[in-house]
Amino acid sequence: MRNFSISATLAAAVLAGPAFAQTEITFWHAMGGQLGETVNEISTRFNASQSDYVITPVYKGGYEDTLTATIAAFRAGEQPNIVQVFDAGAATIIGAKGAVIPAEDLIKQAGIDFDSNDYISGVRYFFADSEGKMVGMPFNSSTPILYYNTEALEKAGVTPPATWEEFEAIAPKLVDAGYTPLSQSHSPWIWTENFHSRHNLPFATNANGFDGSDGTEILVNNEPIKMHFTKAKEWLDKGWYGYYGAGWGDNQAPFENGEAAMWLGSSGSFGGLLNSADFEFSATYLPYWESVTKEPTSTFIGGAALFAMAGKSDEENRASAEFFKFLSAAETQLFWHQETGYVPITSAAYDLAKENGYYEEKPQAEIGIKQLSLPSGEFSKGYRMGFYVQIRDVMNREYGRIFAGETDVDSAFSIIEEEGNKLLSRFAKTTN
Amino acid sequence: MDRVKIYDHIVLLLGVFLMVGPLAVAFMTSTFDYVTIHKEGMQFGWGGEFLETYETVLTQQSGFTGGVTGLLMTQNSFILGIGFALGKIVISMLAAYAIVYFRFRAATFCFWIIFLTLLLPLEVRILPSYEVVQQMGLLNSYTGLILPLIASATGTFFFRQFFKSVPNELLEAARIDGAGPWRFFFDILLPLSKTMMAAIFIIMFVVGWNQYLWPTLMTTDESYFTLVRGIKQIMQNMIGADIPKYNEALAMAILAMLPPVLVIVIFQRMFIKGLVEQEK
Amino acid sequence: MNKAQFGSPWMPYMLLAPQMIIIAIFFLWPAAEAIRSSFFLEDPFFGTATYVGLENYSDALSASDYKRTAIFTALFTVLVALLSLSIGLMLAVSADRVLRGKSTYKTLLMWVYAIAPPVAGLIGVMLFDQHIGPLVDFALIFGWEMRIGVNYWDTGIAMIIVATWKQIPYNFIFFLSGLQSIPSSVKEAASIDCKSPNRRFWTITFPLLAPTTFFLLILNITYAMFETFGLIDLIVKDQPGNSPVTLVYKVYRDGFRGNDLGGSSAQSVILMLLVLVLTVVQFRLIEKRVHYN
Repeated sequence: MRNFSISATLAAAVLAGPAFAQTEITFWHAMGGQLGETVNEISTRFNASQSDYVITPVYKGGYEDTLTATIAAFRAGEQPNIVQVFDAGAATIIGAKGAVIPAEDLIKQAGIDFDSNDYISGVRYFFADSEGKMVGMPFNSSTPILYYNTEALEKAGVTPPATWEEFEAIAPKLVDAGYTPLSQSHSPWIWTENFHSRHNLPFATNANGFDGSDGTEILVNNEPIKMHFTKAKEWLDKGWYGYYGAGWGDNQAPFENGEAAMWLGSSGSFGGLLNSADFEFSATYLPYWESVTKEPTSTFIGGAALFAMAGKSDEENRASAEFFKFLSAAETQLFWHQETGYVPITSAAYDLAKENGYYEEKPQAEIGIKQLSLPSGEFSKGYRMGFYVQIRDVMNREYGRIFAGETDVDSAFSIIEEEGNKLLSRFAKTTN
Repeated sequence: MDRVKIYDHIVLLLGVFLMVGPLAVAFMTSTFDYVTIHKEGMQFGWGGEFLETYETVLTQQSGFTGGVTGLLMTQNSFILGIGFALGKIVISMLAAYAIVYFRFRAATFCFWIIFLTLLLPLEVRILPSYEVVQQMGLLNSYTGLILPLIASATGTFFFRQFFKSVPNELLEAARIDGAGPWRFFFDILLPLSKTMMAAIFIIMFVVGWNQYLWPTLMTTDESYFTLVRGIKQIMQNMIGADIPKYNEALAMAILAMLPPVLVIVIFQRMFIKGLVEQEK
Repeated sequence: MNKAQFGSPWMPYMLLAPQMIIIAIFFLWPAAEAIRSSFFLEDPFFGTATYVGLENYSDALSASDYKRTAIFTALFTVLVALLSLSIGLMLAVSADRVLRGKSTYKTLLMWVYAIAPPVAGLIGVMLFDQHIGPLVDFALIFGWEMRIGVNYWDTGIAMIIVATWKQIPYNFIFFLSGLQSIPSSVKEAASIDCKSPNRRFWTITFPLLAPTTFFLLILNITYAMFETFGLIDLIVKDQPGNSPVTLVYKVYRDGFRGNDLGGSSAQSVILMLLVLVLTVVQFRLIEKRVHYN
């Protein structure tokens, strides 16, 4: 485990800085373990890089806990300056007009240059409003990619599939070589949300929900995805796919211990895999169905973004803006990218990584960002739906039932659609 | 007669195996390193990592200022356990004293209000309790952690039953001697209640120490985490992308159970007496 | 028996004040809040509320998994209560009868009482883990491929086992105390009258334990319905998916995790009513018992 000798750097920063009025800001995040250490390191570097502002990061638990804590704090007038909110919580925090200052506004108000085109297209839109203004500052962005065990594929004499049709062709050979061909870790994110994005299918009305919550309905009950899950169940029955529950780690473990030859995970899983897998692995794009589209589009980001809470003084807002600027700087992005595997969010950072030859050493690290840079379709920007945590719960439950043979694909998707729309209309009532 | 005896011993031995077995496996596994556990499953035997793992759990610093350690969480657990037990005893003894030994108009009304609290466990009013505590600014504080737990009147009922069983003659004799309510309470009732107080303290200490849902909701600041709350944190790290640190999780579980177990084993008789007396 | 009492006008109020104030702030106020907010849909950030009448209730009850959760909660409660009571009783009867090693057995069997439910849940979820759990290997010997987190009932059974395990010592302590308080004269008379230990147990001992059993039944039900929250939380590892959960867990999941305050308040109120009904039933039963005496 890396040790960044935080105490040494912190001591240096404290001793070197002047003793008079520095603006202090707080930053609530959901990065635990090693990720948290990296966040701490970046914060320390920010504090050391200038003497006007001091940021204190605080780990608040998982994504849901952090959001709930933020809401409670906001109601008590004690919200932090910056908070990290995840994709499923985007609608809640962005829908609460007046609770946050859009990142773009915050940065421009502090007199700092801002051009949203600096940010990679696949990254830019998820946390932006319907006009494209960035509300949340992307922070830890990742996208689903397909990892594969190089030795396993060699043994079976196959190449990694670009389409699901190709997967079906190579699966029997992998089985013969003694592997479970596939596992995946997040059915809603990877096989639902990004399925729609990759095939450029609409996921919800009102431009995937970006135009507002009033009347937004989920469009998940469609033929392509039902076909996909019907196939997935067939694969499960044939031993071509292994389902280990709704837990991320439970589905990653079979790949790590060599049982599964391929695994759909996150571009951010890269760092962890380097530690836990004792075989050579590489990655490729998320497969698509040729029968659905001949022109697959990019996926969108998962992960979380940073939001600047309203109700803070101008000085503090300037501090937050400076922190956002520091985060977007190519060197910081490069460090974050290399340490965690999350994608660099600016083209400048991406170029810097390329210049440094990082991807020659580790080509797998580039797959995620290349996938995000693919041509983007009308429906590849992401989604914005309220009570989405509960909607994902419904999806996980129904998918679990499909794979357990407790229900059929048609009924499952009917339920997801019905429950989803019920939740969406309830959410619309809370914000309007 | 002998057949029954052998049967009894077999039953009891199986029972002991059932109750102690899982904990033994947990402890043994905690002495291995997590990569081994991840590859081979839970272990039987001694893994040799005992000192390193337990030391890490107790002293490994997390948080930006590195202030949060397993030791701090242990300290918080003690504060919660002892604070809760003491608070409960003091408040319920006073309340029970009032209800049993005083004639006043609101007595029945107060009694029924107190009774009402027995009907609704904390879990069904957990979210609004959270809102109330948040509105009072008591999130992430010891006060907020302890006070709402005292709101259920089990202690008051217990002491009420106990006081009712104290013979009337004692009070009459005291009154003849000219003792007022304070004198009676401190000189006579309190000494009589000592054993009961100790028993209740033990039970309440365990209850307080083992609190999970309430601390989970209202402490997001790591420096207020109790050991049991820390287990949830470990679980969340377990579901992330790296190999979960099973050994540390189990070590923390063992540490979290040690003080309450020691307390009830050492003070067995008092503990059982207190537990069973509640029934009456 | 009339209690001799003091007549001081202000003292009782002063003594009761701390308890009553705490109850007012941390019990009555939240309970009232839960009822109030169950009729509204609230914006989590600003608290602006839209009145929706009974919609939260109908939404909660008609949710596709409410029925399944309610059924699981009922089954879970009944099974955990019955199993832990039976095993606790069996152990207590044997512990009462043996002469040698009684106190060692007693200590070894009762200490699990002190373990917090989430701690039991953590140990349980690891023992039953698909990839590393020894209990899964053990089940495989019988041809049962347990898949916690994947198979609904496999996970449910694991929860029931862990919850029962945690509760056995509690029942054991009470039953043992109950057995030990039966006067030895009764025991001797019984062993003269009735040669078979089995018959003796069912016709004499068990009826004497009836009050204890009733009392324990209620406590076990409360335990299974509410106090197992931590256990369930650890076993589903934050991602319920297609795993069973209890009604209390659903309140937490929707309200706290999903920020749906109105909806989870409605669920809380439904639970409150349920507890009220259970308590009324309990009191009726105790009334009957008192009359029997």
